[in-house]
Amino acid sequence: MSALSETGTTLLLAAAKKDEGGSFLVTPGLGLMLWTLIAFGVTYYVLSKVAFPKIAEALDKRRKAIDESIDSALKTKAEADQLLEEYRARLKEAREQADDIVARSRKAAEAHQDEAKSSAKQYREELMQSTRKDIENETRRALEEIRKEVAGLTLIATEKVTRKSLDDEDHRRLIEEALSEVDFSALAGDKKNGAPNGSGDS
Amino acid sequence: MKERFMALGTGKKVLLVFGLFVVVAVVVNMLVPSEGKNDAFKPETEFKLDPWVTLKLGPLDMSLNKAVLYLFLACALTTMAMLYIAKRMQDRPNRVQTAVEAAYDLARNQITGNNMDDSMALRWFPFIGTIFFFILFSNLIGYVPLPTNTEHTVEVFGIAFPTFAIYAATANLSIPLMLTLMVWFSYHREGIKAKGFVPYFKSWMPAGLEDMPLPARAGIFAIEVISQFVRIISLSVRLFANILAGHLLILFMGGGLVVLLGLAALGVFTLPIAILFFMFEVGLIAGLQAFIFATLTSIYLGAATAEGH
Repeated sequence: MSALSETGTTLLLAAAKKDEGGSFLVTPGLGLMLWTLIAFGVTYYVLSKVAFPKIAEALDKRRKAIDESIDSALKTKAEADQLLEEYRARLKEAREQADDIVARSRKAAEAHQDEAKSSAKQYREELMQSTRKDIENETRRALEEIRKEVAGLTLIATEKVTRKSLDDEDHRRLIEEALSEVDFSALAGDKKNGAPNGSGDS
Repeated sequence: MKERFMALGTGKKVLLVFGLFVVVAVVVNMLVPSEGKNDAFKPETEFKLDPWVTLKLGPLDMSLNKAVLYLFLACALTTMAMLYIAKRMQDRPNRVQTAVEAAYDLARNQITGNNMDDSMALRWFPFIGTIFFFILFSNLIGYVPLPTNTEHTVEVFGIAFPTFAIYAATANLSIPLMLTLMVWFSYHREGIKAKGFVPYFKSWMPAGLEDMPLPARAGIFAIEVISQFVRIISLSVRLFANILAGHLLILFMGGGLVVLLGLAALGVFTLPIAILFFMFEVGLIAGLQAFIFATLTSIYLGAATAEGH
């Protein structure tokens, strides 16, 4: 017990001694406080009057510059986008136009071809028709001639057979009548039909 | 050798390093045997302020001493660093400028801007910013060994030079106390200016006590008054005690204990700890305490002018 109290006393003494030795640590000195005020005041004056405004100004300037460059970059981008869009639209338009032109020329070519074809056909038909008409005319003329020839020959033959000249008027009328019964038209189409008729009569 | 060490497990590594320390300690102990307790060495004298130039204005002791030197150093370093950066503000900042700008931004937007409205922040930022940078530089130069120890001198060619020591202006109560008093008066003045004399003191009362009987309200008001005064102590002592404790730890671990106990072998273990503490103090505490002091200043100012309690 006594040992314990002794230790306690020693500790207390030590604490007191320490307190005595270190008390200046927690004792504020007015002089030092005034020096603090002076040092802080000078620092405050210089910083608030010169350093801080300058730094703030430079930072604001930079922020503004950054803002401006961002703005201008955005603007440029928007412009570029718009331009691109425009070019794209124009390209699309041009492509459509080109397609249109190709389609149109194809159609025109087809139409032209059709027209040429039909006109050729028409020309050919016309040609055929006129040819046919010519042939008919020629045939008719030839038949007419044959008929005249046959009439003349018949007349001669009859004269030779009968040895007398028939009254031209009467005989010619008779022959004409007889000939009209014979269908010469078969000569044009079918010679087998006409030939027996003609040879039978002559 | 290195590969073989790296191949060991973590536990074995620790054991090996610790064993190495023990061996070195034993060797040191054999070379320099214990001298017994050293009563002549008083660690607290490291923080004692001996007047270098005695200056007395009547009853006022304005003597120049170590703390005043550190104040001047802090003042000169803060102003010069900030002026240097301010003059060289470039659009494309280098690393130093980026660091200072980050600190400026922290003081301007985090510490000041977050605790008060914009117009008030604009007015009070120079004060709060100065507090932040002044304390920061004050703390930081406190870890630079300077030839300031006049108690122990080194004789070079017959001239006594002071030995190198570390000290910090903020490790002396007077300096944080003065800063705190400036803050304290500033925010009361600002509060009275913003709300009027009586309404300001009324605003100390917490809201919702209108129905309380008068004596109880008086009691609460007394508590609020005390809490306002306690702020003087808490704000100043927090900074002072943190920096002092850091310096004491570095002092004891860096050799103080060895000298006190006269046990050289102990230094093998305490020196690495001292280095760790040093890095911890420089890297974290110096900045953190400046940040806390400035932030509390900002909070007090903001609260003094804010509506409601």
